[in-house]
Amino acid sequence: MTNIVLVTNNSVVQEKFGEKLDVNHLPQATYLETLEVVRDKIHAGHKLLTHPLSGSVKPNDTPYKTIVISKAKGTLDYDGLGIIEESMASAQKFIAGRKTPQWTDKVKADFRLIDFTIISTAINSMDGKFIG
Amino acid sequence: MRLELGKIKITDVQPGEVTKVENGTLFVNKQELIDLAMKDDRIKGVKVEFARPGESVRIAPVKDVIEPRVKVSGTGAMFPGMINKVKTVGSGRTHALVGANVITCGKIVGFQEGIIDMSGPTAKYTPFSETFNVCIVIEPVDNLETHDYEQAARLAGLKIGALVGEAGRNVEPDEVVVYETKPIAEQTAQYPNLPKVGYIHMLQSQGLLHDTFYYGVDAKQMVPTFMYPTEIMDGAITSGNCVAPCDKVTTFHHLNNPVIEDLYKRHGKDLNFIGVILTNENVFLADKERSSDMVGKFVEFLGLDGVIITEEGYGNPDTDLMMNCKKSTEAGAKVVLITDEFPGRDGKSQSLADAVPEADTLVSCGNGNVIVEFPPMDKVIGTLDYVETMIGGYEGSLRKDGSIEAEIQIIIASTIANGYNTLSAKMY
Repeated sequence: MTNIVLVTNNSVVQEKFGEKLDVNHLPQATYLETLEVVRDKIHAGHKLLTHPLSGSVKPNDTPYKTIVISKAKGTLDYDGLGIIEESMASAQKFIAGRKTPQWTDKVKADFRLIDFTIISTAINSMDGKFIG
Repeated sequence: MRLELGKIKITDVQPGEVTKVENGTLFVNKQELIDLAMKDDRIKGVKVEFARPGESVRIAPVKDVIEPRVKVSGTGAMFPGMINKVKTVGSGRTHALVGANVITCGKIVGFQEGIIDMSGPTAKYTPFSETFNVCIVIEPVDNLETHDYEQAARLAGLKIGALVGEAGRNVEPDEVVVYETKPIAEQTAQYPNLPKVGYIHMLQSQGLLHDTFYYGVDAKQMVPTFMYPTEIMDGAITSGNCVAPCDKVTTFHHLNNPVIEDLYKRHGKDLNFIGVILTNENVFLADKERSSDMVGKFVEFLGLDGVIITEEGYGNPDTDLMMNCKKSTEAGAKVVLITDEFPGRDGKSQSLADAVPEADTLVSCGNGNVIVEFPPMDKVIGTLDYVETMIGGYEGSLRKDGSIEAEIQIIIASTIANGYNTLSAKMY
């Protein structure tokens, strides 16, 4: 699928998709910083393709997030902008609510897996379909 | 479709030589359940333990809750497509062991599913503190891949639920409730002067540990469809979701959907309950557009005057909820949303992750961010090892004495977004 870009701070997504797809890997970015990068891309004309709050693991319950955007730029994706802004507000609310936990490596590996599987199923869903 | 649901009231659970029901007591041959689960070679070990109301017992981490039921007559068998053939269910007669539940527990991933306390101050937040629970603690073989473990645990729960349900086949129920929905033209004609009401039931469908199945079909793969409400009572919908404890819809909650129950109570009195529109909550935004457009199409085609919409989850599903609300309104129906809220611990922040102007009528299932205290319990079924990484838990949540301080969202079904709970919110 050459018409999409994955924006992610999840190294498993880079590892599994890096060769086949265009992955914008931000290894040092926090959850919120990853959302901010996506917001900026939407302002630049990319289209939001997946929901930023995918998964029941809420912001500040997991450090990892992968979001898919279009590779091509076009007119402003107004609906997508609304969704990313609301998602960022939601993330800020949860982060303000409590201290970010110190997760063990095993737990972080589980979070990476869940983020990866959720985005994989979303990518399968869009394969061959119109995304413009 | 017409279903007679025979409710057999269970008032105790005890070990026994034979799995059977006698005078309200469910006797369970533990080894029979263990042998059944162990047929799946992905499972290394199984323990069966009982938890009764009022006992000083904590169950954690909980995966699914299944009410034991059996199809006594009518086509199909329980949990079609999952553990039995795919034949359409929802008619004839089904018996339910009401007051008993099979609960699966076991670690699948590090951020575990939630807690049930059978007594103490937090027992009131979950319905399962009041039921006689047969807990199945499942240990996977070493290095089992997560997808495989999830599937093995899910199927074990359904198989054991059906096995225990068999004990009710020849027992005279304490109560028989009849539910009936006719095909659309007849149903509309039966109560021509009553408003036609439908229930839009949103199914969790985001991926591993976030799945729901309709006749065995992964809800991610579905487009919206119509379901006779009685199909759900025979296990047409099963849960593969186990991440956010408070608003996870367990298989029990599918079998006992409170919106369907209450709509039937008023059916023919002040409303004409037409049926259920099933839809999903996919992550790909175009899937949301497609599904919500089709939901709107159903609302228009069925001529619904009003709809109730429930969701499962937070964040991503809130966008589906709002799209369904908008398009149902555009199709001419009045819309009421039922959902839980995450407005922060002080309750002052925005409750949902999305909103549309059409979403002006909502019944709240409570605030999942409120902090509660759990005293220590004498016995733990499962393990408390992962409490701090459970959703609602945090560093310092679990104390050395076994007591816990955590958000209410750590408790199974405490804020479940279909209203089968005791929390709400009021506007002043």
